[in-house]
Amino acid sequence: MTNHRMTEDRELDLWRQQWSRVAQPSPEFKRQVQERIKVQNRRFWLGSLLALAALAGTLILAFYQLTHHTSRLEKGQATGVFVLLFVAVVCRLWFMRGTWRAETQSIRASVELWHRRVLAQIRGVQIGIYIAIGWLAFCGALAAANWATIRLELMAHPTAYFAMIVVIALMLPLIWFGAMWFRRHKVAELNEVTRLLEEMEKMND
Amino acid sequence: MSTQSTDSFASGATVVKETRRELEQRFERILDEHGAAISRLAYSYEAVAGIREELGQEIALAIWRALPHFRGECSERTFIFRIAHNRGLTHVRRRRPQQQSLDDLEETDEPVDPRPHPDEQLAQMNQQERLALAVQSLPIAHKQMIVLMLEGLSHAEIGEVLGITECNARVRLTRARKALKESMGVTQ
Repeated sequence: MTNHRMTEDRELDLWRQQWSRVAQPSPEFKRQVQERIKVQNRRFWLGSLLALAALAGTLILAFYQLTHHTSRLEKGQATGVFVLLFVAVVCRLWFMRGTWRAETQSIRASVELWHRRVLAQIRGVQIGIYIAIGWLAFCGALAAANWATIRLELMAHPTAYFAMIVVIALMLPLIWFGAMWFRRHKVAELNEVTRLLEEMEKMND
Repeated sequence: MSTQSTDSFASGATVVKETRRELEQRFERILDEHGAAISRLAYSYEAVAGIREELGQEIALAIWRALPHFRGECSERTFIFRIAHNRGLTHVRRRRPQQQSLDDLEETDEPVDPRPHPDEQLAQMNQQERLALAVQSLPIAHKQMIVLMLEGLSHAEIGEVLGITECNARVRLTRARKALKESMGVTQ
C-alpha cells in the first residue's frame, strides 16, 4: 500500500513537472491583455453613453410633448412613453432578481447563476413581447380616440404618413423574428445548462 | 458648503483612482504569477494555438472583470482557477454544436487541427506531449480535476473551485487519475 502510494506520488510529481513545461504564454500575452482591456473599457463607456443618451433623449422628448403641446394625442403619446419605460425598467429589475452574482465562488454556483440568467432572459423576451403588444394596442386606441386630428394631418401630409406606415410594417416583423430567434437561442442555451447541471449532479452521486 | 462638497468630490475621485491603480497592480501581479497556469489551462480546453491564445486572453479579461468582486472568501489561486474553468466551459459550449451533451462531447469534440490524428502523433511523442494530449482528450469533468491537480491545488482547494466537498474531490480525483492513465496508456 505504502509502495503504491509512493509510486503514485512520484508519478504525480513527474506529471506536474511535465505539465509545468506545457504551453508557455507568449511574451506578448500581458501587453495583448492590457490592450484588450483598454478596448473593452472604451466600448463599455461608449455603449453606456449611447444608452444613456437614448434614454435621456426619449424622456426629454416625452416631457417636452407633455408640457408644450396641448393636443390630447401628443399628451397621450408622451404619457404612454413614460409608462412604457417605467414598466420596462421595473420588469427588467424584477427578472434580474437573484442573478447579480453567484451564491458561492465555485464552478457549480456559477453554472447555477448561468442557469438563472438564461431563465431571466427568456422571461424578459416573453414579457417584452407582451409589452410590445400592449404598446401597439395603446397606440391603436390612441389613434382611434384622436382620429379627427390624425385625419387632418393625414390629408395635409399623405406621403409622410404613408412612409411611416411602411416603416412600421417593415419593422414589426423584423422585431418579431429577431425576438423569436433570440428566444430560440436562449431556450437551446437553457437546455444545455440544465444538462450540464444534471451531469454535475450525476458526478456527485 | 460648496467648497466642502468640491473637496469631498475630489477626495472621492482620488479614492476611485487609487482603488483602480491598486486593482491594476494586483492584476499585473496575477498575470506575472499565474500567466503560465492560465495558458496551460487554456491549452487543456483548446488545441489550436491561435484560438488558445485568444482563450487565454479571454480568461485574463474575465479575471480582470471579476477582480473588484473578489471578497477574499477563498484563496486568490482558487478564485483564479474557478474563473478560468468557467471561461473554459463557456468556450467549449460556444464551440460545440447546440443540443449536444457532455458525453457526446467526449467523443466528438475533436479540435480542428491540421496536424495528424492524435493517436498517430502520440506514438512519436515524448512523455510531456503524451500527458498534454491525454489531458486535452479527457471529458470535461475529469479534465477540470486533473488540471487542478497538476497545478498543485490541494483536495480542499479543488473542492472549493468545483463547489464539492473535499471528500468528494478526493473520490473524483481518483477516478479522473485513472481516466488519465487509461488515456495515456491506450496509445502507449
